[in-house]
Amino acid sequence: MTAPTTTTGPGGDVTGPHLTDADVVVVGGGPAGSCAALVAARAGLRVVLLERGPFPGSKNMYGGVVYPRILDQLIPQWWTQAPVQRWITRRSTMLLTDTQAMSVDFRSQAWAAAPHNGATAVRPEWDRWLAEEAAAAGAQVVCSTTVTGLLRDGHRIVGVRTDRPDGDLTARVVVACDGVNSFLAKQAGLYEHADAAHYTVGVKETLALPKATIDERFNVRDRDGVDIEILGGTGGVNGGAFLYTNLESVSVGVVLKVPKLAAQQRRPEEIIAALKAHPAITPLVDGGELVEYSAHLIPEAGLAMMPKVVADGMVVAGDAAALCLAAGIWLEGVNFAMASGMYAGESVVEAVRAGDVSETGLAGYRRRLADSFVLRDHRKLRRAPSLVLSDRVQHRYPPMIANTIERMFRVDNPAPKPGLRRILAEERKRAGVRVRDLARDAWDAMRTFG
Amino acid sequence: MIAACLKWSAATGGWSAADQAALELGLQHAERTGTDCVAVTVGPAAAAGALGEALACGASRAVHVVVDGDLPSWDTAVALSAAVAEAITVWCGDYSADRGSGSVPAYLAALRHCEQALGVVEARPGSLPFEVLRRLDGGRRERVSVTGPAVVSVEGAAARLRRASLRAQLADHSARLTTVAGPPADHLDAPVVAYRPRARQLPAPAGAVALDRIGAILHSGTPARRGETVELEPPAAAAAILDALTRWGYRAGGAAPGGATS
Ligand SMILES: Cc1cc2nc3c(=O)[nH]c(=O)nc-3n(C[C@H](O)[C@H](O)[C@H](O)COP(=O)(O)OP(=O)(O)OC[C@H]3O[C@@H](n4cnc5c(N)ncnc54)[C@H](O)[C@@H]3O)c2cc1C
Repeated sequence: MTAPTTTTGPGGDVTGPHLTDADVVVVGGGPAGSCAALVAARAGLRVVLLERGPFPGSKNMYGGVVYPRILDQLIPQWWTQAPVQRWITRRSTMLLTDTQAMSVDFRSQAWAAAPHNGATAVRPEWDRWLAEEAAAAGAQVVCSTTVTGLLRDGHRIVGVRTDRPDGDLTARVVVACDGVNSFLAKQAGLYEHADAAHYTVGVKETLALPKATIDERFNVRDRDGVDIEILGGTGGVNGGAFLYTNLESVSVGVVLKVPKLAAQQRRPEEIIAALKAHPAITPLVDGGELVEYSAHLIPEAGLAMMPKVVADGMVVAGDAAALCLAAGIWLEGVNFAMASGMYAGESVVEAVRAGDVSETGLAGYRRRLADSFVLRDHRKLRRAPSLVLSDRVQHRYPPMIANTIERMFRVDNPAPKPGLRRILAEERKRAGVRVRDLARDAWDAMRTFG
Repeated sequence: MIAACLKWSAATGGWSAADQAALELGLQHAERTGTDCVAVTVGPAAAAGALGEALACGASRAVHVVVDGDLPSWDTAVALSAAVAEAITVWCGDYSADRGSGSVPAYLAALRHCEQALGVVEARPGSLPFEVLRRLDGGRRERVSVTGPAVVSVEGAAARLRRASLRAQLADHSARLTTVAGPPADHLDAPVVAYRPRARQLPAPAGAVALDRIGAILHSGTPARRGETVELEPPAAAAAILDALTRWGYRAGGAAPGGATS
């Protein structure tokens, strides 16, 4: 191993001929980083995976449902080893107003059997498992190590600087998987500008409850689990809420648009407290002991915020590249991170073998993203974040729909039942929704989700 | 030779803060007295990686007693005592990352027939004799002089483990790691996961105002139960202690030494 000859700044400039310490340095032991390291190590490259937490996953949080089918390509029969809490067999989409709740509840026992669909998992277990897979493939996993900057040779990225003594590490390619707000992608100049409106903050409480209580309240058995995505319940701040079942705990949380949260001067924990006090939610979470409170940013704007994902000597994957799919009733980040990490790994192997780790040599990464569900789903759902987080969808449609349904099912004898069309027209007016806007949003929704 | 005994936990993939402090004090002790520091772990194969970190931090050697499962504290102490037989001072953490009973250091001292200083909060190790500060009940402290071969167990705040350089962290340490087979262990059927407290339903506290209710939860204003002083012959005193521990729920009626897990 040969150290760089000169370094400067928070990162540094490296000059002079040198051999690299590793073929690939992967920064971040989240799902993206571990999948990238796994693929590159399996191909026989010298891979170092650097993670700032004491173990991979120790610092990571999310809502709680992972869709791991992409792992079919990486870890055959992954479901026999993955640290899963419950397999999702019930998926509800719930609409909340202050006093009302409406759910579309779907259940499929097919999802209880391999290869399953979604699963609840806790990140310290999930991320650690994936990192162990990377280590078993030959990647060197170094924890408690924060990358503080990039090393450059001219404009080419040739390694990273860490906070450890003697902590510079040179590599042929750096894979930045350092999560949302990636300092490495920013330092490499890959992000154009940061806009707070592109982010939501996710806040979650984990409440411990006995398994039997969860089974009974959520109407499930064995390892079956429930995913409830909620529109409303965010105290007037644009966003959404969720409630998931783990084995012996439930995760309840909210995802809130950052500028709206700041403007309304609300505290996220107050919003969760109000959500838990909602008559439709209280019976599900009552008596749960708070065992964890956590918060994290989500890159919510999809294509609108995506940086360049390739530079000379570097690729960016997962949340670091804003690849999380946050489109209303879909909040999928872990599968997008695992897939982009996998494609990053494949492209790096290709570039290293071809002896060209320039932006051109690494262009296979962009191509793989574009050809896969990663960018296809983002393209397909590109209007979803702005539609779902719009004021009308957030504040006007929920009472309109809930009041319409309430009146539809209300028995006001001796008055006869009113017609649905009339109720809808009245409730639309009461909610202050113009026909023109309703038609436009319906058209947008068709184009987005259709 | 100085030894540092470290309990690797599958739940966290590492050591407790107390074990880290033990390693740091062991390293300092070895540096000040010009001798070797050996890091010892009794644990599963996965613990080897953590011993690599101890070597990266500066331990001269590491011994991994491989056990595939969980050992009672007594058996852990027996396995450790063979590995640290030549050590003058053995540093241990006073609790492990998987919330064991903390009894291994005391058993180890008993097996080695040496001095013991348990629950140490401050130490400046050096040539014998050196002093350590122990935590006692009721916020009191005791200054103890270590005069000969000893087992010292330390709290996490006693020292902060140094950071290994990145180069040391990446280096291959396998030549300085000795692996020996340990005794057969109990297999845990359930996977080891990070400790998460179970939910308990408690009655709502009484009190008209919030302060009273908080007081009720914290038992403030309730006179603390004073300790009982009994004067008995040692065997009767030991029986009285065991009886009290059983009544308070710390012992499942008449467990033999070594019954607790490490
Ligand atoms: C509240 C909330 C709910 C969510 N719910 C879901 C859900 O239910 N399902 C779903 O699929 N997705 C969900 N997501 C999104 C999902 O969590 C992310 O998309 C996913 O974690 C991205 O993975 P990643 O590997 O790119 O980044 P991360 O998981 O953020 O991992 C980044 C890693 O890099 C490390 N790191 C960062 N900087 C450095 C550095 N300088 N040096 C060394 N290491 C560093 C971090 O410690 C971390 O381990 C949710 C997110 C939030 C916040």
